[in-house]
Amino acid sequence: MTAQEVRLCGLLLQEHFGEVVEKVGTHLLKSGAQNLRTIIHETGLSVDLVKKSLCVLVQHGATTFSSGRKGLGSPTEYHTSCDRILRILRYPRYIYTAKTLYGDTGELIIEELLQRGHTTMSSTVKTVADRLTQNMAEGRTMDYTEVSSTFSKLVETHFLQRCPPLPGTPATPGTPAAPVNTAPPTPESFPECYKVPSVTLIGRGKRQLASEDGEEQRSAKRAKMDPETHGDEGIYWQVNFERFHLHFRDQTIISAVANKLDQTSSEIVRTMLRMSEVTTSPMATCTKPLSANEIFRSLPPSYNILRPILDQYLTLLVDDPMEFVGKAGESGGGMFVVNLHRALANLARATLESVVQERFGSRSARIFRLLLRKRHLEQKQVEDFAMIPAKEAKDMLYTLLSQNLVQLQEIPKTPDYAPSRTFYLYTVNQLPTARMLLQNCYKTVANLIERRLFETKESKRLLEKSQRIEAILASLQASGAEPEQLTEVEEMITAPEKQQLDTLRLHINKLDSAENQVDETIFLLESYINSTNASS
Amino acid sequence: MAEVKVKKETNLSDPAEVENRIKELCQQFPHGITDQVIQNDMPHLEPQQRAMAINKLLSLGQLDLLRNSAGLLYRLKDSQSTSKMKGSDNQEKLVYQIIEDAGNKGIWSRDIRFKSNLPLTEINKILKNLESKKLIKAVKSVAASKKKVYMLYNLQPDRSVTGGAWYSDQDFESEFVEVLNQQCFKFLQSKAEAARDSKQSPMVQRNSSFATSHEVWKYICELGISKVDLSMDDIETILNTLIYDGKVEMTVIAAKEGTVGSVDGQMKLYRGVNAIIQPTGLVKTPCGLCPVFDDCHEGGEISPSTCIYMSEWLDF
Repeated sequence: MTAQEVRLCGLLLQEHFGEVVEKVGTHLLKSGAQNLRTIIHETGLSVDLVKKSLCVLVQHGATTFSSGRKGLGSPTEYHTSCDRILRILRYPRYIYTAKTLYGDTGELIIEELLQRGHTTMSSTVKTVADRLTQNMAEGRTMDYTEVSSTFSKLVETHFLQRCPPLPGTPATPGTPAAPVNTAPPTPESFPECYKVPSVTLIGRGKRQLASEDGEEQRSAKRAKMDPETHGDEGIYWQVNFERFHLHFRDQTIISAVANKLDQTSSEIVRTMLRMSEVTTSPMATCTKPLSANEIFRSLPPSYNILRPILDQYLTLLVDDPMEFVGKAGESGGGMFVVNLHRALANLARATLESVVQERFGSRSARIFRLLLRKRHLEQKQVEDFAMIPAKEAKDMLYTLLSQNLVQLQEIPKTPDYAPSRTFYLYTVNQLPTARMLLQNCYKTVANLIERRLFETKESKRLLEKSQRIEAILASLQASGAEPEQLTEVEEMITAPEKQQLDTLRLHINKLDSAENQVDETIFLLESYINSTNASS
Repeated sequence: MAEVKVKKETNLSDPAEVENRIKELCQQFPHGITDQVIQNDMPHLEPQQRAMAINKLLSLGQLDLLRNSAGLLYRLKDSQSTSKMKGSDNQEKLVYQIIEDAGNKGIWSRDIRFKSNLPLTEINKILKNLESKKLIKAVKSVAASKKKVYMLYNLQPDRSVTGGAWYSDQDFESEFVEVLNQQCFKFLQSKAEAARDSKQSPMVQRNSSFATSHEVWKYICELGISKVDLSMDDIETILNTLIYDGKVEMTVIAAKEGTVGSVDGQMKLYRGVNAIIQPTGLVKTPCGLCPVFDDCHEGGEISPSTCIYMSEWLDF
């Protein structure tokens, strides 16, 4: 919970849930687990507001509650962690992935679930069907069964999971009360995590009538009082972020292989990863061994590769210095695994190198890579290996040292560490450097968000004006006005103002897309750091 | 009988005879003889006489005194070098010997002073004298540009002093290195592309995209961009810098002795490669490259709201 992370979480909470939630959330982040009374006292908000904010946070899984530290009977404590809140940054990527895999229906389902946090299947299906019907051509509606089937598909591939039942409340009548345990249960520890309930959902999406157009926005927020029940009360679903992360990780590995080798090798790696999607645990060092025969059978039919050619490709993948694929045995024509942790380490290293290259130039990048390879080197040796004149090499090394990308290791010849009698070796430690860069990424994203808010605030007056004019235009058009009136209203925005609005829109889009790009770096570095945590 | 005895005695006790005997022994053992050997040969020679004879020979400059792990060695100096030193006095001879011992690497004047225990002025005079006689020369060292090392006139300075092929007149030739760098990379890249376009089976493709260090060396020599003769080791250092640039990868394979370019039964193969990721997202934002990143915080003089780098980037 570093300062940068807290700052970023605060900004994200403020954008998505408002100031009150932000205040409560950041307070919890900074002070750890607290009970309700302490929170109220320290944030100075009213009981009502604090309760509502906590509800919002719990609904989205950002806060968990558990019984107090002093044992049963003490007030429940609320605990927030940064990770879940930082995922908000990645929502666009999740939605886009769902769209590519499952089309518009999948996209809308994931969007609904991300917005609501936890919902039941039936309500999701209905809302999504309504929204899809909205955008479809006149006279066509979306059937609930289609949406349900996409939902089931998402659950089968583990992109959605059930929320774990709350501790201390009986899950279903008949089961004994769950034993109180201090650790919050993971969703996966429940056997029915991925079981789609049998839901009776018959119907079609309802199209909003034209007269309700003005109330469209408000009704989406208002909870529809639905008299029907569908047999899945109490079963709430949430998005399984880990699964999405595995998917992103696989994609990055595949594109790295495609860059380094060629398209066919990346297709082979894609097949291998697809086959091990559900059999490999998220923290595994490498996938389960797959025999060459299985790979050959599972290759997509569009690639007619002959068996000996496939063997050659596999041998090449194994021999590659990047070690994406390793050989685990000889049975079945050769057993192959994808080395996940090593691939992540290589990708993280490439990220570090690219940062150094862009920031300090290609010669400094040469020195950096040299130190990564050779571990510890004296200054003279650095100059010799990198073939850079001594003065320049010294300058670059000191710059890298001041930015903490390179560390100095002293090896004394005498116990008194006299500088003339000590060896000074330069070295690069990959893991601490990755952590430092990750914090820089968080700070960068926070900067981008702040800049975006600043730009919006600067042009607030203009934005309000343009919104008013749009509303007037819309109402005039609805009530059938003449073209002169329309043009008159449009001219209320002068040309330079229009230009200003356009530049503003451009800026905001640029900042948004930059946030997503930095988020990709964040994902890589986070996965690498988590993988080293798991194995250590 | 008495005559023989006398003769033997005179034989042995005559210093000149002793010296000659020692010189003959030296000639017998060109690597040098120890005290022990002389003693074995002339067992009734007193140590004092022996020492006197040896000292005489040393001062005449006919014998070289060396030390090895077992003790002192005496070696016959060849007559040519003896003639060179005629007309020089002992001190000069001493200095000359010290310089000669330094061999290829040369020796610094302060080190000469330490070894000979002569005062600085004397040393300087002697060095000037020797230089004018064209017996020694001064070579500027590349490591410390003000330092001059002295070595024998006809010796080729060692690479560590002149820096080898990359230094010309004590200056590191960075443009030369850069040019070589790019040429090697282009050669390897075109080889890799040719292999990729050949559309053969992947194994053959990969193998044909490799180039041995010998091939690269031949290519560079034929290009003729280098005034200096480059050895295969030089080319390998250039190829190593390409590896550190991330543009090239290397493998070592076992090769038969005698195939061209193999060193100790192995050959180094180089191959051009592509980067595995595109430049990462962080560096596409101004914050990733900002020089004052650590000073930036909201409300300060440098803050995201007022950042000029961001303004420039947004207006781009």
